[in-house]
Amino acid sequence: MNKKLDRRTFIGVSGAGIAGAVAATSGRSVFGQAPSDRPIRLGFVGVGGRGSYHLDVALGMEGVEVPAVCDVKPAALYRAKRWVEEAGQPTPNLYGKTPTDFERLCAEEDLDAIICCTSWKWHHPVGMAAMLNDKNCVNEVPLVQTIDEAWELVETHEKTGKWTTLGFKSPNSSITNMIYHGLLGDIVHCEGGYVHDLRNVKFNPDEEPWRLQHSIDRNGNLYPDHPTCRMIPVMDVNHGDRFDYLVSMSSSAVMLNRYAEMMYGEKHPYAAKEMKQGDTNITLLRTVNGKMYTLNFDTNTPHPRGITRIQGTKGVIMSGQGVGSKIYLDGVSPESHQWEDAAKYLEEYEHPIRKEYDPGAGREIRGHGGGRGTPISWHRLVLALREGRVSDFDVYDSATSSVISPLSEQSVAGKSKAVDFPDFTRGKWKERLPVEVAFNNSRKG
Amino acid sequence: MSELLNNIAAAAGPAAQSAGGKPVRLGFVGIGGRGSYHLDCALGFEGVEVPALCEIQDERLQQAKSWVEESGRPTPRLYGRGEKDFERMCSEEELDAVICCTSWKWHTPVCLAANRSDKHAVSEVPIALTLDEAWELVETCEKTGKWSTLGLEQVLLESTGGMYLNLLNLIRAGLMGDVVHASGGYIHDLRRVKSPGGSEPWRLEHSIRRNGNLYPDHPMNRFIPHMDINHGDRFVSLVSMSARSGVLNEYAAATLGKEHPLASTEMAQGDYNATLIQSEKGKVVTLNFDTNTPHPRGLYRLQGTNGVFIDGRGVGESMIYLDGISPESHRWEPAAPYLEANKHPVIRDYKPAERKSVRGHGGGGSKVPLTWHLLIRNLREGTTPYFDVYDSVTSSAASPLSEMSVANRSQMVEFPDFTRGKWKTRKPFDVS
Repeated sequence: MNKKLDRRTFIGVSGAGIAGAVAATSGRSVFGQAPSDRPIRLGFVGVGGRGSYHLDVALGMEGVEVPAVCDVKPAALYRAKRWVEEAGQPTPNLYGKTPTDFERLCAEEDLDAIICCTSWKWHHPVGMAAMLNDKNCVNEVPLVQTIDEAWELVETHEKTGKWTTLGFKSPNSSITNMIYHGLLGDIVHCEGGYVHDLRNVKFNPDEEPWRLQHSIDRNGNLYPDHPTCRMIPVMDVNHGDRFDYLVSMSSSAVMLNRYAEMMYGEKHPYAAKEMKQGDTNITLLRTVNGKMYTLNFDTNTPHPRGITRIQGTKGVIMSGQGVGSKIYLDGVSPESHQWEDAAKYLEEYEHPIRKEYDPGAGREIRGHGGGRGTPISWHRLVLALREGRVSDFDVYDSATSSVISPLSEQSVAGKSKAVDFPDFTRGKWKERLPVEVAFNNSRKG
Repeated sequence: MSELLNNIAAAAGPAAQSAGGKPVRLGFVGIGGRGSYHLDCALGFEGVEVPALCEIQDERLQQAKSWVEESGRPTPRLYGRGEKDFERMCSEEELDAVICCTSWKWHTPVCLAANRSDKHAVSEVPIALTLDEAWELVETCEKTGKWSTLGLEQVLLESTGGMYLNLLNLIRAGLMGDVVHASGGYIHDLRRVKSPGGSEPWRLEHSIRRNGNLYPDHPMNRFIPHMDINHGDRFVSLVSMSARSGVLNEYAAATLGKEHPLASTEMAQGDYNATLIQSEKGKVVTLNFDTNTPHPRGLYRLQGTNGVFIDGRGVGESMIYLDGISPESHRWEPAAPYLEANKHPVIRDYKPAERKSVRGHGGGGSKVPLTWHLLIRNLREGTTPYFDVYDSVTSSAASPLSEMSVANRSQMVEFPDFTRGKWKTRKPFDVS
């Protein structure tokens, strides 16, 4: 316990200086990636497809240790153990005796943060266990499944000073940089969604069959985070604006029955089982300052991935399968009301954080995620842990993103009635700066 | 009635003698950009007479008169004594149908005046601005036997060579499976058109006073057929949301100066509106509306249980993905070969004649538009246009319904069943 307190004091007092000091003394390192006097200690809970990817990234970073791993599936657990050992680290302590063995891990281990990649329903309990045991927690999406869970995470964060976030998400992007420089004017409307045919994933026992249960029991916009974590900074939600209310509408549900019948025969129980989740859901959100957001959700019908579109008062940008990446800027684009390729703008406005970052030429990362070297999300996360600050995508923004799902369920169940959006910041959204304003201020400072 | 018309035809001389022997007599109300297009189309038909014109701007009225005369037809009677002179025209003239291309607020009054004077009416979009108007059109049609429709709406039949009608045929062939969701809208930067000195400054008045999805008919001309609305299914409910408004003020300040009243006039209409509509059988429509922000035109996307179709600016050419058929898993491929292979018989068999002239605001290029070909045939044969009174008012009703929803914090609004239950037995939508 003493050791832990000492370490925390150290972070609190001199955290801001660490990265700089390390960079200055380590000639070969890229800023923020240097080995440190103090290792960052991580515990992994859930090391399946996505968890094993994150584990493999962590094992490739100098100064990051993995003393504990938790998974209910022995095969996944022992694969993780082997990877840690092969990376030259001490054999990790293993947890997985029961579905709640992560609680023992959180209580017994001395860690900076938990990386949680379980199935959805455990994300909130793992985050709570981490914070109540003096640890931060980075979650895969979605952070929560109910409004109560969201409030509990926010309140526990405020009480303990520890955080649970969708900390692999980055608020800073070429788009937010473009908006900061005024290219699109004021944002009027955004559209995005999770439009991804997951019928196979929901039925395949080797993939994520637990997802199917959500389609059986729930009806709403169940996977809002991938698009929303991009749009929250674009719309300044929780940073000068906030979501006011939403309405949500679902279509009828036929696809999963038909898929079960086609794959397993008409006698299969799922060929006739009632599925609550409509095959398509559309949710409309409005901010108090009058921005709008159309959020689509469809993991049941056959389609290429969806399209993202951001409309401002001075222009519009659109990307996705089938359209590539296109932009139109009023008075700037060469042809009136015709798209042009967005590539040169995206390059010109590439975010400084990304421009200055080199992921390195590491080996190929195993697990579900891909790529080589250290992805910028992990670089930023470890930097935040070293500096003793919350991850770039913070608790309020994370809770806001994931709570869309239970709110949309309420709306759908009430014939698309309007549902008020909770203000997790309790008024702080008025003072919280837009992310790019904060970033540029910090640069000047 | 028909005897009288035959007598008139006989008296009118060879130019008016059609193949059917019976001339079709049309009166035009509103002959600006769109009205002059329709007039020009009508004048290209043999056997179509234009004995009456109505327009409050004398310059337009005189131009229309000269077009009729130049086509070799008798000088038409002119109506332009005030905004309601169309009523006199409807009561005094012997006409088969009135073609209405006025500004929006006159569409329903002109249609009703026509029906009540024993004439059919074809209106430009939107056919009604309120639910009361929509019901009155339906009830008047049922009472008089005369119809009012958006029968010259060109999107389904004529956009990109009849692509959307071919898509309907492709749906009928089962390739898309059952339709689950359609998304489209009217996404068209009309800031200049709406501003003083623009081509339709009266549109601005709607942006000042109203807030909703104010121009639903072009996308609805695809949604209703593709989803069998009123033809085996029906719209049951709607929610609508508008963004803040500000772009029109900014545009006025930039183009007319900061001192101009429009730079600070409060605009009720949000710069973006999205409306969700649910059908009885669980289909969903996303209907977008944005005539204020700068953008290329929007997309149309139709999701079925077996596949998905998309087209619009930015897509390049229309694309399709069909489960188990498209060569690459979950990747778009060009839709053209499928649309070609499933050509709708009406598109396949239509051999359009050349237009004698091409004037006014409309599609179809130098050929006689399919919509006009079908309308004249309807009038000759006594049949109803492909987009009938029920489909037409359903299309336009989305606008007042969306206003009600927006005014009440996106409250759910029930969609009226204008067919009064007939949607259950009306045949799947088709064009013949």
